Amino acid sequence: MALDASQNLEDAELLARFAKGDRTAAQVLTARLAPLVFAQAFRILGDRAEAEDVTQDSLLRLWHAAPDWQPGQAKVTTWLYRVTSNLCIDRMRKSKRHSGEEVPDMPDERPDIERRLQDRARAQALRAALGDLPDRQKQAMVLRHLEGLSNPDVAQIMQISVEAVESLMSRGKRSLAHALAPQKKALGLKDDG
Amino acid sequence: MDKDFSPAPLDDQDLNALFEAAQRDTPELDPEFLMRLQAQAAAAVPQSARPKPPRLRLFQTLSGVVAQFGGWPAGAGLAMAGAAGVVIGISPPDAVLDITSAYFQTESLSELTGIGFEAEFNWEDT
Repeated sequence: MALDASQNLEDAELLARFAKGDRTAAQVLTARLAPLVFAQAFRILGDRAEAEDVTQDSLLRLWHAAPDWQPGQAKVTTWLYRVTSNLCIDRMRKSKRHSGEEVPDMPDERPDIERRLQDRARAQALRAALGDLPDRQKQAMVLRHLEGLSNPDVAQIMQISVEAVESLMSRGKRSLAHALAPQKKALGLKDDG
Repeated sequence: MDKDFSPAPLDDQDLNALFEAAQRDTPELDPEFLMRLQAQAAAAVPQSARPKPPRLRLFQTLSGVVAQFGGWPAGAGLAMAGAAGVVIGISPPDAVLDITSAYFQTESLSELTGIGFEAEFNWEDT
């Protein structure tokens, strides 16, 4: 199928075409989904190489699942968020190495260097604190506050109720607020204490 | 009463500032890495489900001709007859040799058919 025509198709339709042997669908789906998966993995792991590994692994799992994909079972992105999230948590468990220890490569293109450095410091501190949260809390926090998903979407991805998501996030935020309190000044946040 | 010197926890505004910073602090996907992923995706396309390449037009035409003459069984018979012809041509049986040698030993068409050669030119005399 032509590349232009494929660009307008839904993810599920493209996946069905992939399963029928359509290479163009494979190309379009990869271009569409890989940046999402990579961003999610990087925000959790804070390491480009590891995020790339997870991206590769997540997409391979999607390709393997394609022939048995049931139309309407779940959104492709929902399925991928779940898989990526689980893969990241597995890696964090195995390596016990959380973000904040390495500075990922970033092109020096943005003019606001000071702002960029502050973003980096804040992101690293946040990832380190997230890494110390229990897995479910961490997963809920990342999906809701870093990926910007709604509570019902997070609930669907985590296969729990919306109330359970709210509870996880409430506890997660409280833990983060206390864990990061000593770094408040260093992170450029207003210090009321 | 002892004063609590532990730092005050972050409020929602502080946490949101950290989340926004982490969202901005996300690198772009490397284009070379994306190309590798696309190659892997292409390789993962199920083999058996790949669309078959269109058949050659010549083959389609040949199939149509053969079908008009009774399909492949008739084609097989024709091929067998052709092969038999080649064998007979290379190593003819005695009976075939007698007929062909009798034919080629005649000196003219009139001798073979019994019709006088001059009869063909009668129009010149009229």
